[in-house]
Amino acid sequence: MNFRKYLDFRLLGFIGSISMIISEFLSWYSELSLFSIYVLSTSLAIGDSFLYLFPLICGIICLFGTSLLIYNFEYKINSVIINFIGLGFFLIFISNIIIKDIIYLSTIRIGFYFAVIGAIFVFFDILNILLIK
Amino acid sequence: MGHELRRKIIKIIGENDFSSFTTLKKELRVSTGTIYHHLDSLSQLIEQREDKKYYLTDLGVHAYNSLKNNIETIISPNFSSREFNSPILKGLMFLTPNQLINYTENKKLYSFLVSLIILIIGAILCGLNNLFPIFLFFGESPLNSGLNSSIFLGVFYFINFFVYALLIESICRLFYKRKENWDKLFISFGIIYFPLVLYLMIHLIFILTDYIIFPIIGIIDNIILILLQVWSLWILAYNLIVNKGLKVENALIISFLLHYGGFSIILLLSI
Repeated sequence: MNFRKYLDFRLLGFIGSISMIISEFLSWYSELSLFSIYVLSTSLAIGDSFLYLFPLICGIICLFGTSLLIYNFEYKINSVIINFIGLGFFLIFISNIIIKDIIYLSTIRIGFYFAVIGAIFVFFDILNILLIK
Repeated sequence: MGHELRRKIIKIIGENDFSSFTTLKKELRVSTGTIYHHLDSLSQLIEQREDKKYYLTDLGVHAYNSLKNNIETIISPNFSSREFNSPILKGLMFLTPNQLINYTENKKLYSFLVSLIILIIGAILCGLNNLFPIFLFFGESPLNSGLNSSIFLGVFYFINFFVYALLIESICRLFYKRKENWDKLFISFGIIYFPLVLYLMIHLIFILTDYIIFPIIGIIDNIILILLQVWSLWILAYNLIVNKGLKVENALIISFLLHYGGFSIILLLSI
């Protein structure tokens, strides 16, 4: 069976961004999802609560970038730049939240893995777009 | 015009008003046959007059003017003009100081001075913000803020600049066999840091006014950093396109990989 016929590697970014959006609603630490943490920290007026939405924002921006590419391959540089902006949000999230909460890394749940794998997919999607002739 | 050599031919003739075959061969450093082949392809843009020298036709002058504005320069066979006309790339090109990167010989000193001023301001601001730079990223300095720490961070900013420039030059030489214009790349390399200097200024204003303690300002600060980093990366990619003759895709690959490499270093150091 010729898998290449059915598998479009441009879908990497699509799967990655969907995965990041889903991760927002899956459990990260204990049973809490990032969205629940955001709601909780907003209601308690804890600073930086908006940061907990960054994986979701990243997923939405990357989804837009990937959709643009799927819509028309001519816009590949635009798509790369949009994906890059999206990933920037994830990097900021990692550098602000993960480092602060590194002590909880041992109790990390599936949401974290979804987000990281999603980001890696988007990263490889950027490379893939730029390397395609 | 899709081929880099053809663009170079138009540029050489345009800059000198005319050119002999010997000059073209000397400048392009390719075989006689290759030059003749490209000259044939450019028959609508170039004409050979009685003195045996090559001149631009009216259409050729128009093409040269486009090249001077650096529009055609970045359009590779895989980079359509339709995409170039999109708001994102038009906006980025509008923000790109192309005259300082793709400078002519008489503006070399000007470009160098602008580059140097950007670097000096960046080094001072890095010290004042107590941030240490890794390529185009910044991390919180573990040192206590003070004069010694500021001086160290300022010096580190310069070291970061040289390491980053050397790394990019090495990658261009090793992976893409591009040795040309290394001096132009270095002279205009400081301009890449202009958006980040803007970020450092904004960040310092937020710190000095104590606005940084407000969560929303912290978020805005982060978003500004992301957008200005993208601008910086585009200027870097543009620099590689015009000075190293790389395709836009390859220039972006180098920029992005090094950028994520820089982030990984910051992450490891923070942990």
